[in-house]
Amino acid sequence: MRLAVPFGAASASSDQVKNMRWPALARNTHKWLALAIGVQAALWTLSGLYMTAVHIDIIHGDHLVRHAAPTPIDLTGLVEPGAVMGGQPSASARLEVQLGRPVYVVAGGTGRALFDARTGRELSPLGEDAARARASELFAGAGALKTVELLAEAPPEIRGRPAPIWRVEFDGWWRPTLYISAQTGELVAKRHDLWRMFDVVWMLHIMDYQERENVNNTLLRVATWTAVVSCASGAWLLIFSFRRRRRARKAA
Amino acid sequence: MLLIRTLHKWFGLILGLQFLLWTVSGAMMALLDHHKVSGEHTVRAPAPLAAPTTLMSIGALAEMVAGPVQGVKLRPLNDRYVYEVKTAMGTSILDAVSGQPMVIDAVAARRLAAAAYVGEGRITAVEPVAKHGLETRGLVLPLWKAKFDDADNTTLYVAATTGEVVERRNDTWRLWDVFWMLHIMDYTDRASFNHPLIITVATGVAWLALSGVILLFRSFRRSDFAWVLDGWDRLRSR
Repeated sequence: MRLAVPFGAASASSDQVKNMRWPALARNTHKWLALAIGVQAALWTLSGLYMTAVHIDIIHGDHLVRHAAPTPIDLTGLVEPGAVMGGQPSASARLEVQLGRPVYVVAGGTGRALFDARTGRELSPLGEDAARARASELFAGAGALKTVELLAEAPPEIRGRPAPIWRVEFDGWWRPTLYISAQTGELVAKRHDLWRMFDVVWMLHIMDYQERENVNNTLLRVATWTAVVSCASGAWLLIFSFRRRRRARKAA
Repeated sequence: MLLIRTLHKWFGLILGLQFLLWTVSGAMMALLDHHKVSGEHTVRAPAPLAAPTTLMSIGALAEMVAGPVQGVKLRPLNDRYVYEVKTAMGTSILDAVSGQPMVIDAVAARRLAAAAYVGEGRITAVEPVAKHGLETRGLVLPLWKAKFDDADNTTLYVAATTGEVVERRNDTWRLWDVFWMLHIMDYTDRASFNHPLIITVATGVAWLALSGVILLFRSFRRSDFAWVLDGWDRLRSR
């Protein structure tokens, strides 16, 4: 069975197109669209391959943090949470255990703070020793603590998080780093080079080279639809690519 | 070069459909406004609420829940303060003034969903959710599902143990989720993009794209760019 292939587009105006066969038109369309989007398409597939091949739990660094079994907290003799919350509307206080002692993590209108739940003494802002101790308590890796620094501004790899914040880096593959809130002693983020690499390929994938988070940017929208048409023209070209070869074989 | 052309052709034949699905689903996800997809404008922050001065003592909590306490949170819930208590049995909430255990029933869930909701719609149904579906993946059960009759068919999910509005879904998200499914090739749960199928296909399609880039170098002749180069030559010879 052979489908009729028209060998000219009579309605087209220019001589070039008039004399062009359908396979050649398909090939030209695919060629020029691929010129426009080919490199980005390669970046999409390679970045996609990285994101699928390295498990997201590893990227998130779940293995960097110790998951201790929840321990019972003795509630007798604690300071009342209402006392440390202050008078701020919609404030909240969470009782948890840090470094073996019960603490209140208080969040309110003006910010967050940490209190000793037995004495009611404010523990924030955390000093270097406390940040060191918290990071060592949380870190599950084998490496020793390498650097501790207090950052006045959140660096790009934890963009949007409240500052000041303690950055604690450990020895080990892929530079494992824990970020400890100076206000509350909480673990705010965990980073390592596999995450940092993921962030770069994510940027390439969504083509937002500034904030790396806007999936609706115009460049991406134009590029993706160009890719759709380029891919569809490739499918169109496939029809001719295989038929022509079969005919050639028959002739031989 | 002929080998690469042949490979490009055959990879295109076998994996081209998935490549097309990736470009179409990617283009659609780039097109759908992620603010609408996440439904972030359909819920509001709770109104400021002053903590009552006569709170039940935290020391009394231990007698009111079964088993050792693992964590406590004193926080506002809509129009009152509650103690949220975590034990090995799970999480429960108590009124922070009276100490009464609070149960989030259909009536309470309706009130909480209505208080959080921003929009034109009204609640048409409040149903219990005891089994995970596509809309509730990753959430802690049990839940209450509050359906609204706005244009985007907003649904808010309220946690039955804590009373928090934990998720919001709408038709924009539901459409987005279909493209997300096609994009990550997880056709049952729509949750994981780290499975052997997608890694295998992505490897093949990466080669499809790379071989295409290589072929670009052979597919163009100087005459293809005559319209640029001739003009450039004319400018230079002037």
